[in-house]
Amino acid sequence: MSTLAVKSQPVYQELEWDRSGTHHILFVAAEDAALAHRLLANPPPGSMTLIRLNDSANPDSAWAKQLAASARYLEAHALPETLDLLREALYASRMGTRLYLAGPEDAIWQASQLADSFGMTRDEVRQMQLGTTARPVFCVHCRTITRGVHTNIVPCSGCGRALFVRDHFSRRLGAYMGFQIDAESPGDIPAAEVIYP
Amino acid sequence: MNASFNIEIRRIRELAPGIREFSLGRSDGEDFPVYSGGSHIVLSLPLGERQHRNPYSLLGDPTVRNTWRIAVRKQEQSRGGSAWLHEQAREGMRIDISAPVNLFPLDRLGRHHILVAGGIGITPILSQARELARLGADFEVHYAYRGPEYGVFADELETLAPGRIHHYVATRREQIEFSTLLAGRPLGTHFYICGPAGMVAASMNAGAALGWPESHLHSEQFLAPTGGEPFDVELTLSNKRFTVPSDLSLLEAIEQQGVDAPYLCRGGACGQCETEVISCDGELLHHDLYLSAEERASGKKIMPCVSRLKGGCMTLKL
Ligand code: FES
Repeated sequence: MSTLAVKSQPVYQELEWDRSGTHHILFVAAEDAALAHRLLANPPPGSMTLIRLNDSANPDSAWAKQLAASARYLEAHALPETLDLLREALYASRMGTRLYLAGPEDAIWQASQLADSFGMTRDEVRQMQLGTTARPVFCVHCRTITRGVHTNIVPCSGCGRALFVRDHFSRRLGAYMGFQIDAESPGDIPAAEVIYP
Repeated sequence: MNASFNIEIRRIRELAPGIREFSLGRSDGEDFPVYSGGSHIVLSLPLGERQHRNPYSLLGDPTVRNTWRIAVRKQEQSRGGSAWLHEQAREGMRIDISAPVNLFPLDRLGRHHILVAGGIGITPILSQARELARLGADFEVHYAYRGPEYGVFADELETLAPGRIHHYVATRREQIEFSTLLAGRPLGTHFYICGPAGMVAASMNAGAALGWPESHLHSEQFLAPTGGEPFDVELTLSNKRFTVPSDLSLLEAIEQQGVDAPYLCRGGACGQCETEVISCDGELLHHDLYLSAEERASGKKIMPCVSRLKGGCMTLKL
């Protein structure tokens, strides 16, 4: 039921450095050894801060290992705390900063909203999806966002309605739209399938 | 082409040697629309046989609807427009003006705004400062001028944003150091400048060197069209052949033929008048700030508001 080419669905480019920046903040919420190597082996001029969500039993992060000794390294064990680290880093940052976000959509879009709140614009922020494709889902009925959704149908964490997960993505909310699936015939809920591993 | 108003010159004030301020009201007594800070209007000035169109920034309070204000500096090499406003214009005279166009708008999502004016470039900066003050936004103004008598809007600015206006007077050897001004600014800062070409270029270079992205660096610079050698033009779509005399711009000459050509800034900045060159047998003299180096080199495009041909004949798709 999910159509692929929906315009509002974000398309991500391979992450590259923006070498016109003078300070680079790399926010990572998933592992990708090849990407870590490609980026960190050829760093841009200027200072660098790496902020990492370390939620795996994988202390041997490729990101942490490859990072230059001169760079600042910060990590936290859960997403909210990692976002707090980012907020503090942005607060102290100056014009000339570029922000790179790599991780699951839930993480990179929450980070991107944070960047918006500091007045950063699209030419200062780059994003790339890594790790799980689980979706943040916005309930159009009660406006709650249910996070980490792997299935095409999910109970809303706010109102409990069975939501069908659309490909329609809102950048402002950083979430996919979810509509009650049994609105026409209550109780008629198909079995959920895992389609966002 | 643009909606226009017939206005009456209500008041003329001499602000400094060679700088006059004009207060304009609608001839029909109606109110003007509200405009946004940074907007300009185009005045149609009656220079003998022909209408001469010059752009000027609105400098008053964008929400004051019975009067619009502009300030005009007499250009040393005026082709008539600013000279007419300085020598012929009288209170009570009526002329046509265009509706406002804004090519220099504020970024309302900005967290902090740095406004910089060089000389008469203060005019759009003033209306921007007023808009920011009304929004309660965080801003500062840096105002550079030749000598103390040329700081013509210093007092108005000071009432608008006490303590946030910085003056740089050339005769006192004060100059804006852009690499210092732009360094260490918090995220979300936006920079706006209107002034002489060299000053604008210096600020843009300093911003780029400090890593400022383009979306945060805003500038406005209108060039006055210069005269030059006469040349011949053929317009294929409107089927006209004529000579552009030395004292008219290509755009003015096209308009004089009764051909409705697009424009917004008439100063080589906005790109609106871009026209396709089908062929030409002389050297294109590009004076605009809009075309890229490749576009210039291709010889396929011209901005008729400021650019011309050196001798010969050109054919335009117009
Ligand atoms: S009218 Fe704006 S560039 Fe010619």
